[in-house]
Amino acid sequence: MNVILWKDTKKNISDIEKKAPCYYAIDFDIPADITKGYITTDKKNFEYETSISEIKKYDENTDKDLLFKKKPASVTVIKIDSIKKIDKKPISDFKLNDNKSEIDSFAVGEEFTVEYKEKSEYKIPEKDEDVIADLKARGYNFPLSVVDKLAKYKKELPPDKYEKLLKRVNLEIEKREVDPYEAVGIIAAQSIGEPGTQMTMRTFHFAGVVEMNVTLGLPRLIEIVDARRIPSTPSMTIYLTKEYKNDGEKVKQLIKNLENTAIIDVADIITDVGDMSLTIKLDAYKSKDRLVNISDVINALDKIKGIIYNQVDNERILIKLQQESFKRLYQLQEQLKVTPIKGVPKIKRAIARYDNSSNEWILYTQGSNLKDVLNIEGVDPTRTYTNDIIEIENVLGIEAARNAIYREAENTLSEQGLDVDKRHLMLVSDMMTFSGAVRAVGRQGISGRKSSVLARAAFEITSKHLLKAGLLGEIDPLSGVAENIIVGQPITLGTGAIDLVYKGQKK
Amino acid sequence: MSKFNVLEHEIVPEHHLVPVEEEYKVLKMLNVTKENLPRISINDPAVKALEEIHGKLEPGRIIKIIRKSPTAGYYEYYRVIVKSVI
Repeated sequence: MNVILWKDTKKNISDIEKKAPCYYAIDFDIPADITKGYITTDKKNFEYETSISEIKKYDENTDKDLLFKKKPASVTVIKIDSIKKIDKKPISDFKLNDNKSEIDSFAVGEEFTVEYKEKSEYKIPEKDEDVIADLKARGYNFPLSVVDKLAKYKKELPPDKYEKLLKRVNLEIEKREVDPYEAVGIIAAQSIGEPGTQMTMRTFHFAGVVEMNVTLGLPRLIEIVDARRIPSTPSMTIYLTKEYKNDGEKVKQLIKNLENTAIIDVADIITDVGDMSLTIKLDAYKSKDRLVNISDVINALDKIKGIIYNQVDNERILIKLQQESFKRLYQLQEQLKVTPIKGVPKIKRAIARYDNSSNEWILYTQGSNLKDVLNIEGVDPTRTYTNDIIEIENVLGIEAARNAIYREAENTLSEQGLDVDKRHLMLVSDMMTFSGAVRAVGRQGISGRKSSVLARAAFEITSKHLLKAGLLGEIDPLSGVAENIIVGQPITLGTGAIDLVYKGQKK
Repeated sequence: MSKFNVLEHEIVPEHHLVPVEEEYKVLKMLNVTKENLPRISINDPAVKALEEIHGKLEPGRIIKIIRKSPTAGYYEYYRVIVKSVI
């Protein structure tokens, strides 16, 4: 269903709010089947939703006593039934007609509609339910992966042996369970840290082997636990939908649409100081390679203000300034170089590789822009992945970021042939996302936000923390490890966690 | 072409809203109060997607997450919605 989107002033909007339902004269022509409109004040987010019931031509003589957007230029009159303030809708929520990506004064477009459904793939399989009932009767509590295996043996084994098996499994699980007050964090730190020392040396051998140079080894691991805003080599793995994944031609086309192309990538810019003009000369080979023609360049030039351009011939465009100035001419030349023609911002390069195990084309990119790529036609949004953890957090949420941290750390370690127990990595990723945002391990993150003053002071920048605590009158209940070591008490771990209370008998 | 529901992405685990009546059961099972639970921002994309299904959610609601684990098969994790996260 089409909707109308337009920009308006705050004053007009408040007028409509006061008078609705009312007739409103606008300065553009719209199709007659529209029943819904959105208003923006800043061209980026739409804050008001209106329902429109009547559309007619503006007639100067008969239409009086109505509201005007711009009085002299009125073309159409619409009847606004109601207007209400809504949560900001960004312009990316709409698909504008004529392939426009931004709004000038008005636009007709389609609203994206998504059917939101909860994902619920997992149900306890029927065969497992018997086992779970068995376990409950005996007071055992096993992980589901163990239950799954036991279900198989329940059928095969005679009851007495099955009973024995359950007992034995329970014994083994109890033996391996973490005890209360066990210092799992320290064990995880050591278990990841020790293999890390071996990684340092091996990194050099692996650098540069991969086609698309991606940071590996220890530098990458540090990047992950530091929760850097931008990784040093952001890269995406893009999976394609059914129609695209086996069609080489379509994949080629998609790559060209993905790669961010600026004018300098396909043309030469020649400055003529005597004539105060710039000439864009399209490079035939480069532009063919990137599937760009001269009309694409002209479309890009439309967005630059204060210039007059003329197409000289098939490969040259002459640009002049509206107000002549050498400074502006120089600025314009720099501006033209980076003016994007097409493609997704931040995606520098994309290559396709045919995966023989799953029989499909997979795209790998340099640079990452998950939000925009997910909405491109042909991209399978459910599998597409980036190695930028912060971006995943922003686009897919904190739980996805937690999985991404685990996945990246696991991949980095296993790529080097190191075998770190998965549980340590899970603990790290859980701790990093505990607060609802990805926090680094270190001064800025987990350690820097401990509640105890002494623990923070013992870690880094001692004087700053103590001074601030003194000013604010902070209290330290001495419940952690570092604090108790400082004051010389047993730490609250393992056996030190127990308090003995003696209740004397009355005589 | 349409906008994408983040809950369908393979890296996003299942998110379910815990009904208010059942919250005490969860807290009793874990032996914690709400303040001790891991947090999730009200502006988190997954919470926004849940809002499309259940209507506006208030801070303080509990979300059940069914995670896939390489060691334990599937397990449940709980997060409480908060207004702002650090």
